[in-house]
Amino acid sequence: MKIKKITIFAGYDKKRNKELFEEIDICAGQKVGIVGPTGSGKSQLLYDIEKLAQGETKTKRKILINDEAPLKEFKFDPTKKIIGYLTQHMNFMTDATVYNFLKTHIEIRGKYQTEEDTEKLIDKIIDDANTVTGEKIEKDVNLLILSGGQSRALMVADLAHVSESPIILIDEIENAGIRIKKALEMLIKKGKIIFLVTHDPVLALDTDKRFVMKKGAINKIIHTSAEEKEIANHLSWINNHVLDIREDVRNGKQIEKLKLKCTLVE
Amino acid sequence: MKIVIFGGTPGSGKTSIIKFVIQELKDLKIHYVKFDVLSTEDDLLIKEKFNISTERRISGDICPDHYAALEIPKIIDEHKDKDVILIETAGLCLRCSPYVEEGLAINVLNILSGKPSGYGPLLTHADLVVVTKGDLISQAEREIFRAEVLKVNKKTLMIEANGLTGEGAIDIASAIKESLETKEKLTLRHSMPSAICGYCYGNKIVDPTESLKRFQSGKKIKTRVPNLNCGKCGFKSCNEFIRAVLDKRVNEIECPYITPEDAEN
Repeated sequence: MKIKKITIFAGYDKKRNKELFEEIDICAGQKVGIVGPTGSGKSQLLYDIEKLAQGETKTKRKILINDEAPLKEFKFDPTKKIIGYLTQHMNFMTDATVYNFLKTHIEIRGKYQTEEDTEKLIDKIIDDANTVTGEKIEKDVNLLILSGGQSRALMVADLAHVSESPIILIDEIENAGIRIKKALEMLIKKGKIIFLVTHDPVLALDTDKRFVMKKGAINKIIHTSAEEKEIANHLSWINNHVLDIREDVRNGKQIEKLKLKCTLVE
Repeated sequence: MKIVIFGGTPGSGKTSIIKFVIQELKDLKIHYVKFDVLSTEDDLLIKEKFNISTERRISGDICPDHYAALEIPKIIDEHKDKDVILIETAGLCLRCSPYVEEGLAINVLNILSGKPSGYGPLLTHADLVVVTKGDLISQAEREIFRAEVLKVNKKTLMIEANGLTGEGAIDIASAIKESLETKEKLTLRHSMPSAICGYCYGNKIVDPTESLKRFQSGKKIKTRVPNLNCGKCGFKSCNEFIRAVLDKRVNEIECPYITPEDAEN
């Protein structure tokens, strides 16, 4: 199914006041940040979107896909699910090798065609994951012993290549140990819509717009300015630089100097 | 009246989920029953929170599924005025299913508690599988888990739920509202185990001869008690009474159905 846009119809805040907008459209290829203090309604908004709510949740919001109410099977059948979810956790629980885990997931998603294609896809996922994390992931290693950064990188690459959901929800992804912007670029390819709960400026300032949550409602919508995008670029450069130094420390090198100037932007 | 049975291993999040479901069913007259093996306070907590009628049933020495099957008809009799009877049961050994054909069967399943193929009728005979703690693992792992559940229970509807936020409660509540009314006699979805031996009568010495002796004396008393589990002797069931007699903790004539002449034979 091709998703052109998703529309959020206003619901109510915690005091039963109507939200200040009528409807918001988000088009394919857009990134939306969700910001606000704890308890302001960020997770509930993600929940409404994941549920493809039709007025039955606490907020009474309605979510339309391409101007229509989504079919019920999108909600329950995981192979038809159009929403991918990247949560805060950083570890796998399954006792299996990276290779076997990916193979099982590919089979369940109905993407298994030939032995050769599957091998290629698995290699591609691991290669892509390795561009996001500093420590290389090996095929035959057990999922349980991957580091936080490696797990996170593999989850992102799996979401990008196996689940292929056109709408992606990301709940407070941490940038510890991964090249966060590169990870997002991997996901946003192919015209996806991304909703991102985050207070990490590298991510929040790199969106197209951000919803400011207050008392359960979308209280304000900020369109990201050109200046903000530039700041985001700068911060991303610093983040990657920190990650490089981190790898040097891990590999037992002596750190000689800090490159304070961002050569990417200037 | 609708009968809804929630089964699941301890720690799967049954009670938390049920609280959110009760909130969604507040227009209906509900009676909540908690079956447990040793002890519980959940009935009191739910009564206090929602002001609905609740009770607890502690199975003690009897297999909890046997006990539930004995008690459920009595509970229904006492609560004919209710719209829904919610029964929560824990402490299963996974050999049996606590479900009846005529009611809605809901299994609350913790996604972290091992492979679905390791569960028996508790999972395979459920109409609805409510998966909890999914927020602790990745989406890929959730999808794999789901496929494994569907391998052992093809017809089930699966709902992802969260006992902390109430996610999923709306879907469970609407499944309850759509379920059929219970009218006829109840039938178990899965048979009980054949557990008749000296150990069932309370033998503790691990030895076949001792067990056989205990079984034979137990069987004699078994023919004299009424097997009605009427409770007049002070025990929940006839079997517990028999164990107490064999342990010499009580005299056989404490049972109002046994006359002193019977006892002497």
